[in-house]
Amino acid sequence: MATSPTRTDARRPGRWARLQARSIEQLHVRLESLIVLIALSTLMAILSPYFLSVSNFLNILLATSTIGVLAIAATFVLSSGGLDLSLGSVLGFSGVCGAAVAVKLGAPMPIAVIATIGAGALAGLVNGLIITRAFVPAFIVTLGMLGIARGLALVISDGRVIYGLPNAMVYLGQGRPFGIPMPVIIFIVTAIVTHMVLAYTRYGRHTLAIGDSENAARTSGINVDFHRLTLYVLSGGLAGLAGLLFATRINSGDPTAGIAYELTAITAAIIGGTNLFGGRGSILGTMIGALIMGVLQNGLNLLAVQSYYQQMAIGGVLILAVFIDQYQVRKESRI
Amino acid sequence: MTLLTVSGIRKSFGAVDVLHGVDFSVGAGEVLGLVGDNGAGKSTLMKIVTGMYKADAGDVVLGGTSVLDLSPGERRAKGIEMIYQDLALAKQQDVAANIFLGREPVRRVFGVNFVDRTKMKQDAQAMITRLGANLPAINRPVGSFSGGQQQSVAIARALTFNPKVVIMDEPTAALAVREVQGVLDLIRQLRDQGIGVILISHRLNDVLSVTDRIVVLHHGRAAANLVTKETTMTDVVSAIVGGGDMAEAAAHEAQG
Amino acid sequence: MFNKMFKTKLSAAVLAAAAAASPVQAEGEYGILMKTLANPFWGAMGQGVEDGAKAADVEYFIQAVESDQAAESQLNVCNTMLERRPVAMITAAINSTNLLPCLKSAQDAGIKIVDLDGNLDPAILDAEGIEITFRIGSDNVLAGAQGAEFMVGQLGADATGPVLVIEGLSGNITGQNRTSGFADKLAELAPGLEIVASLPGDWDRGKAANITNDILTRNPDLVGIFAANDGMALGAVESVFAAGKGGDVVIIGVDGNSDAVTSIQAGRLTASVAQLPYLVGQQAVENVKAVLEGGDVEPQITVPTLVLTKEVMDAGTDPLLESVK
Repeated sequence: MATSPTRTDARRPGRWARLQARSIEQLHVRLESLIVLIALSTLMAILSPYFLSVSNFLNILLATSTIGVLAIAATFVLSSGGLDLSLGSVLGFSGVCGAAVAVKLGAPMPIAVIATIGAGALAGLVNGLIITRAFVPAFIVTLGMLGIARGLALVISDGRVIYGLPNAMVYLGQGRPFGIPMPVIIFIVTAIVTHMVLAYTRYGRHTLAIGDSENAARTSGINVDFHRLTLYVLSGGLAGLAGLLFATRINSGDPTAGIAYELTAITAAIIGGTNLFGGRGSILGTMIGALIMGVLQNGLNLLAVQSYYQQMAIGGVLILAVFIDQYQVRKESRI
Repeated sequence: MTLLTVSGIRKSFGAVDVLHGVDFSVGAGEVLGLVGDNGAGKSTLMKIVTGMYKADAGDVVLGGTSVLDLSPGERRAKGIEMIYQDLALAKQQDVAANIFLGREPVRRVFGVNFVDRTKMKQDAQAMITRLGANLPAINRPVGSFSGGQQQSVAIARALTFNPKVVIMDEPTAALAVREVQGVLDLIRQLRDQGIGVILISHRLNDVLSVTDRIVVLHHGRAAANLVTKETTMTDVVSAIVGGGDMAEAAAHEAQG
Repeated sequence: MFNKMFKTKLSAAVLAAAAAASPVQAEGEYGILMKTLANPFWGAMGQGVEDGAKAADVEYFIQAVESDQAAESQLNVCNTMLERRPVAMITAAINSTNLLPCLKSAQDAGIKIVDLDGNLDPAILDAEGIEITFRIGSDNVLAGAQGAEFMVGQLGADATGPVLVIEGLSGNITGQNRTSGFADKLAELAPGLEIVASLPGDWDRGKAANITNDILTRNPDLVGIFAANDGMALGAVESVFAAGKGGDVVIIGVDGNSDAVTSIQAGRLTASVAQLPYLVGQQAVENVKAVLEGGDVEPQITVPTLVLTKEVMDAGTDPLLESVK
């Protein structure tokens, strides 16, 4: 405070930096990702006459819903310094479990829904227990679970799609109250709730602290192992929810559902500003990351561009996003 | 008045015995120096006091009751704080998040506890101001601060919740001369407020100038328990290396 | 072939981008949704659709997804395609259920639906209340039976010996039809030929090679192998030749793709029951056009299959050969 006026002036951040700081503090989102999303949407609107419509906007959200829920799971685990490579397989596994309970056992809809999400949470619990109690690295444990959950899905379903869910369940995937697809509603509600949890509760703040410095968290008295365990259960449960959306959308439990989805989910989280090595992440950011990918895919589809180019475009956006992020972080830490 | 009593602490890691029954105590308003060579067991001993490690045998008593069965978080709640040599900060989080880590104030909204960011920021700012620390901005990640500034945050974290005992592990090792005086002044202030301070340091000049008593660890035992006023550099150095005439080494240390 | 297609699509996109002011003529556009083009079979079918559309002078756009297991991606692409309001959706669904919600919307919007290559299950379509205009493809049971006939023709009706069947992905209807068609016909024509193993190769060339290796170890006197697609048959070829039994085992695949043609010409693969995907694609467009112009078409259009062998190709007289791509 006792510094000379000139020095204060030199230190005062510019308009952009102040805006950025406010965005990060209040929305937990970096401005660059928002700008990329808006720019991309504008570009698509110019290139394709079909892009700018309510039904297409809902299409984008619908196409983003499964991967979006999975990306939320990835955000929690990544920002705690962990990794969950089993997300896609657990999605397939839980969808098949739910379908089996509903179709083969004829259980009513609420039980089948609980079974779907519960199957995911159970897989997450196994991941978490092995990681925190047996000290096997998360990479290895979840890579193992990737194979185990997929194999189990194929065993339970006998390698076949389990078709014909009860109508009440299909409504979750295909219903349109007020013209809005149910998966979009479920996805948005999940995103809002989890955003509040990660950004504004002690649980969320501790998640970031553990990912930032496990030592700091431990010495502060946080029960790091238990917290980690709950994160893997949460991650598995969210993968189960994604599995529910997937299965109810196509009215069947597909044992091959969600192959390689974990990588897409992680990509969305990272484009949205989550630190791959922990300590930073927000659900709103991840939503923007997932939407950037969704808009890109939708726009390129409308333009009838080959899916191969879409994969290239998404890969490019990922690298660009992390480059901008790193550049900004380096610049800021020099001040 | 004895505040913290540590008795008969033993600890081994596999086949390596690190501590063979250490006893010491620190009173309210007392500054205890804890010195010893590298590997003497100082850090292990302090981690047993804070609860990060479990002792194989012995007891840690704070204000008359054993805290041995308490977790690190519970011991902090009872008033045992430590400032680590590596500071143990979460570097991507801001000042308030670090100061309140694990003890965030909450506000109930619709039956859900949300972290009270406003209160956290105000209290953090107040604490930083009280410490007279000079930080560029309170809402910035602490990783962007200088070493001294980061230490201020670590100190603020230890002092915000009215601790009874504060353990400082090499707080002056990485500081400039002017900053060292600030830390020593702070230790004296804490003592005047009736807080028990345990200072771990290799800088024997600092230890001699600020402590009331000095415990010397040697091969996992409390080899000496010296009253600082009645002690010379030679006595301390001699105890650290395990006896003999150490006048020359002491003279070297005294030159600092 | 692929390169050409890429260029067309890419230039179409660039054109669309450049000519944003004058959007592509939406009236009468055909939407064609493939599985993936990263497979010669689907590539050839896509080519057939494209050539058929050009010949019939209709507007079309083709979309595909990254792999033939990307069920949800395909559904998303399908929904997006409806935004362009095509008059017809010609779809090759990844499985019997993944496109159902999209097809329902298409039906509600009055868009004609065509099942390309028979991936949709009629019973499920009935349950969902979806009516398709027609399905077009090869008869897979018949293709399997043709394979059996050819094998018996090679070995003789009174031949004896062990035969290996390599199935497709467990639960896939196409693969099941081909293998059951083969097995039934084989039992009928040459009871002496015994199927000693029928194992799922999951459409995977490497897996098929491993299965062949294992069975060759158990039955060194193996006389025939029938694989539910060419990729797996080519995997079997590698194992048979590596075991020094090249020429001793009759190996038959299904599809007639370009890799298989090359292998047959090199005297390695014995035969492939060619599905003529090019013809399927071409005829699909022609028939859609007929329907839209008020004509009647059969609800089930079967495109013939052809047993491709070195002799047939060397002779070069079969008119269907023109459709082998």
